[in-house]
Amino acid sequence: MTEAVFNEKTRGSLESAGGQLTAEQRSAVDLAVRPVVVWLFLTSVCWLLLATGLGALSALKLHFPAFLDYTCMSYGRLAPAAHGAFVFGWCSTAALGVASWLLPRLSGGVAPGITLASLGVVLWNAGVLLGVFANIAGNIRPIDGLEFPFASFVLMVGGLSLVAAWILLGLNSSGTAGLGAMFVTGALLCLGWSLFTGNVLIATKSVVGVVEQIVGAWTASGVLWLWLVPVSLGVCYYIVPKVTGRPIFAAPTGRALFWLYFLCAGLLGANRLAGGPVPLWLVSVSASASILLLVPVLGAVYNLFATAKGSEQLVTSPSLKFVLFGALLLGVASLGSAFGALRTINYSVRFTMFESGVQTFLLFGAVSMILFGAIYFIMPRLSGCEWLSSTLISIHFLGAAYGACMGGAMLVLSGLASGSLLSEPDSTFSQVLETGSAYYWGNTIAYGILWVAYSAFALHFLLVALRIGQPAGEPTLFRVKRGH
Amino acid sequence: MSRSSTLFAGLAACFALSLGLCVLLPQAQLGSLSPDFKEEDGRITEVYPTLTGGIAAAGREVYISQGCQACHSQVVRGAETTDMERGWGVRRTVARDYLFENPPVLGVRRIGPDLANVGAQGWRNEPADDTARPAKRDSTWHFLHLYHPTAIIKVSNMPAYKGLFQLRKITGAPSLDALALPAEMAPPEGFEVVPKAEAKSLVAYLLSLNRSHPLKEAGAVAVAAKKN
Repeated sequence: MTEAVFNEKTRGSLESAGGQLTAEQRSAVDLAVRPVVVWLFLTSVCWLLLATGLGALSALKLHFPAFLDYTCMSYGRLAPAAHGAFVFGWCSTAALGVASWLLPRLSGGVAPGITLASLGVVLWNAGVLLGVFANIAGNIRPIDGLEFPFASFVLMVGGLSLVAAWILLGLNSSGTAGLGAMFVTGALLCLGWSLFTGNVLIATKSVVGVVEQIVGAWTASGVLWLWLVPVSLGVCYYIVPKVTGRPIFAAPTGRALFWLYFLCAGLLGANRLAGGPVPLWLVSVSASASILLLVPVLGAVYNLFATAKGSEQLVTSPSLKFVLFGALLLGVASLGSAFGALRTINYSVRFTMFESGVQTFLLFGAVSMILFGAIYFIMPRLSGCEWLSSTLISIHFLGAAYGACMGGAMLVLSGLASGSLLSEPDSTFSQVLETGSAYYWGNTIAYGILWVAYSAFALHFLLVALRIGQPAGEPTLFRVKRGH
Repeated sequence: MSRSSTLFAGLAACFALSLGLCVLLPQAQLGSLSPDFKEEDGRITEVYPTLTGGIAAAGREVYISQGCQACHSQVVRGAETTDMERGWGVRRTVARDYLFENPPVLGVRRIGPDLANVGAQGWRNEPADDTARPAKRDSTWHFLHLYHPTAIIKVSNMPAYKGLFQLRKITGAPSLDALALPAEMAPPEGFEVVPKAEAKSLVAYLLSLNRSHPLKEAGAVAVAAKKN
């Protein structure tokens, strides 16, 4: 029934594996949360396709601005719409789906109020939809990462509160015991807190002028580093031990790193404003925090790889492969973000595509791959049938991994090349422009690859949601050539 | 204390630290800034910055709604970068420059040049001795550039904002606003291209952008000005 090889001997010591529950109890919980989780996943997959399509179009616009030459189709409008649809539509909705499956399962029970939670899903999606349309129509908030108008955040925070309250009210001590659950719970709380605080401060004009941008940067960075990244880490900490059937390599260290993570991750915001009209100490705090953050992130990545080391499932299990690849890219993205925060590097790469490249590694690479892994793990348990085709999973994995790395690398290289030219006073801005844009084609092609891979996934997802797949019992694994 | 309440309390403490350090402290430091006044004989002679009003304020809305901030910053950094040497400003910009902007359109990327001072006399985006450098970046220059960027800058990847202009039949005398377009993009005989109200306010906004008023906290005006 499950992909997990559940080893009786390690059951007691397994972190975050929900060891106390019987298989029947777990299925009962799965059945209870199914409507909310499947709707969250289904809408998130729609957003994934739409956001990647918009992203491809905006990437094309960078080097071919005359394509689809309409006011509403300019880079300035497509880019925020694509980013918002990806972060809030795909990543956040799918992450909410993972949280509303994982935490009830670990607690062994579901809070009442599933109707309200479903209403929350509708509100959340309505908020994202409104935001995307508003951006394309020209209603843009000029704050990087929070371009959706206030009204759409009202809907989103409203919907989030309903879903999060439903999840958190069902929590008990055993539900928050494991590292996976700790990260997911922390992320869920922090997303609510930072989206609410940031938007209220901005909308009520409690902060004005540059401080408004500081609050915006803090909020937008919170969405990435206090929500999407910790949810992803939580998913890894749940799935890796579960699939390999082993306890976490160093759980106590993992706990210490958990606290260090949340201590640092909230301080990254001002990196987006480095060099700007903000207090220098604030930028230094953010830069130091992004370097210090390497300890908990790389520590967690090491912990996960050490847990999975030598496991047979490494080659066969799609969930494990997706999740570990995502963890690896999370390490890459946090290294990139720390590198870009170093003051001398920042002087040249700031205002180039470098930051977008790091975000591509983070969002398309790390977060998305880990969420894909989670969906591959969760959906068979909800729909009662296994994924139809391991070939489709392979296409998805290769395309998504290659596209994310290629897109990220192109933008990082573009940033480094144009940045180093920009810091030479003798270069003209036209030269800087030409150097940077040499890589834009690669970025557009990467988006094309991603879109094909994501379409394969969307099709596969639709099939499993409609219960078209392999009969339940044997998980769909990658085929392995058995040579010897 | 149970495990989950420790978790909640710890997370709340982390969040409070982040809020305090990254939101409340900057607000305490910058939240009560006031404009810079110059007094002579007990009378205020100069105030900087002032609230942008009228057509330029409407132009700011056009700027934001067209998404200009996706490719243009409005931030001049200090002498450790080449921002000033490129002609984008004579001093670095500071928090006081953005006092009446809610929020300031700082921007995050420079796919195009920085525009913090694009309305200032000495602003340039070419080397000071470049022959391609326009004599003046006035409204005529901006209208043509918005209508067809590559007509002026060959390698530009800025979209042509033709939607901000109107192609209309000349009735009676040609309009004074009509763009003087090069032959290859000129409208058909009897027609003219005129800026719509949005284009006019956008250009008024761009021409209003000038953050070169000396401020003591910005420093280094004289040194940078010499390089211009």
